Amino acid sequence: MSRFFISLSFFLIGFWAFCQSEPIDLNPKDTVVYQQSYGLRLGVDISRPITSFLDDNYTGFEIVADYRLNQKLYIAAELGNEKKTRQEDLYNFTTSGSYLKVGVNKNTYANWYGEKNLIYIGGRLAFSTFQNTLNDYQYFNTNRYWSPTDFTNGTGNVPENFSGLSATWLEAVFGTNVELFSNVYMGASIRLGLILAQKEDERFPNLWIPGFNKVTNDSRFGVGFNYSISYFLPLYKKKNQIEKKIEISTEGEN
Amino acid sequence: MKKIKVGLAFLLAIIGIASCEKDDICVEGDTPLLVIEFYDIADTASLKNVPALRVVGQGQAVTVNTVADRTALNKISIPLKTDVDETSFLLISNSASAENGNETGNIDTINFSYKRLEDFLSRGCGFVVNYDSLQSTFTTGTDNWIKNIEIIRSQVTKSDSTHVKIFH
Repeated sequence: MSRFFISLSFFLIGFWAFCQSEPIDLNPKDTVVYQQSYGLRLGVDISRPITSFLDDNYTGFEIVADYRLNQKLYIAAELGNEKKTRQEDLYNFTTSGSYLKVGVNKNTYANWYGEKNLIYIGGRLAFSTFQNTLNDYQYFNTNRYWSPTDFTNGTGNVPENFSGLSATWLEAVFGTNVELFSNVYMGASIRLGLILAQKEDERFPNLWIPGFNKVTNDSRFGVGFNYSISYFLPLYKKKNQIEKKIEISTEGEN
Repeated sequence: MKKIKVGLAFLLAIIGIASCEKDDICVEGDTPLLVIEFYDIADTASLKNVPALRVVGQGQAVTVNTVADRTALNKISIPLKTDVDETSFLLISNSASAENGNETGNIDTINFSYKRLEDFLSRGCGFVVNYDSLQSTFTTGTDNWIKNIEIIRSQVTKSDSTHVKIFH
């Protein structure tokens, strides 16, 4: 009896192959595709409100946003308003105004599976409109014969307003956005600005520009930074495009 | 990794440029001094020293700090007031003190009137005053040692060129 069953088994084993509708694929392709999130990231700068709180001579805020275009490229923008009073040796002035920076970020960070972080380089075209108020000033004079105790005050000594000022500059950005927890990011960036054009008053030049920071004599460069907390609003998902890799053989070369 | 290195290089470049910022000290200029030269009234082309010249600003108790006191000079640079549109000086030739401390020299009073022009030089300097439409008057008397005054430049923006000629 047992011989019958064993014989039957040997016979039926042949049907296995016929029952299989498709041949067994021993290396099945992974059909689970990792989808990347695309959407809008909105946030606020946290350094400016903190500085506003700590420094009596400064108030400001900045809204940051970016929108993912493709695997690496993001459209990015910053919108802000700043007011700063500076006391120099012989004069005191207040600058207040708004600025808008628009440009792109390119993510250079190769994320591991599931990571959504950015280390980016980017560029911005920035524009600011602002006004200057010369609060008070004294005349610089190294000869103190007529006023031995102090420099003489400027005429009138009433605050003088220069309005309708503007500046346009290019900005190179280097920054990072790190996902702290689900869809909440912390970002930081440093910026190098190059003034392209500015409208200034002949009597009192622009010494500080909202969004650009300090303007230096005989130089068109300026530096800035921001720290931001932002929320990523996922709109849709798309899988990565596979990069074609061209392997270059180095064998045979010395 | 290579791209992070590029980023770091960029960061260093920014820090580098930021630290190259100029110090905010004033090197661009100053409120100018009025430069006066003394000429011979007999030969108006040649300079002539004023013996033991003393220059005092009217209303001041001390002599002008830019002029060597009681020395023979043919060129002086003196500061004008920056808060009003005129400045007067007492120019004393043959200046000496009597035993009771009184001045024995010949005192002439000269008055300069001008317009003040504010000029913002730089962040470090701030505003300086330049003078324009310079005019001078001097009290005339029988024993005046100053015979005539001529304004060469009515605009005072630099301290290195002569603005006024005084003939004596």
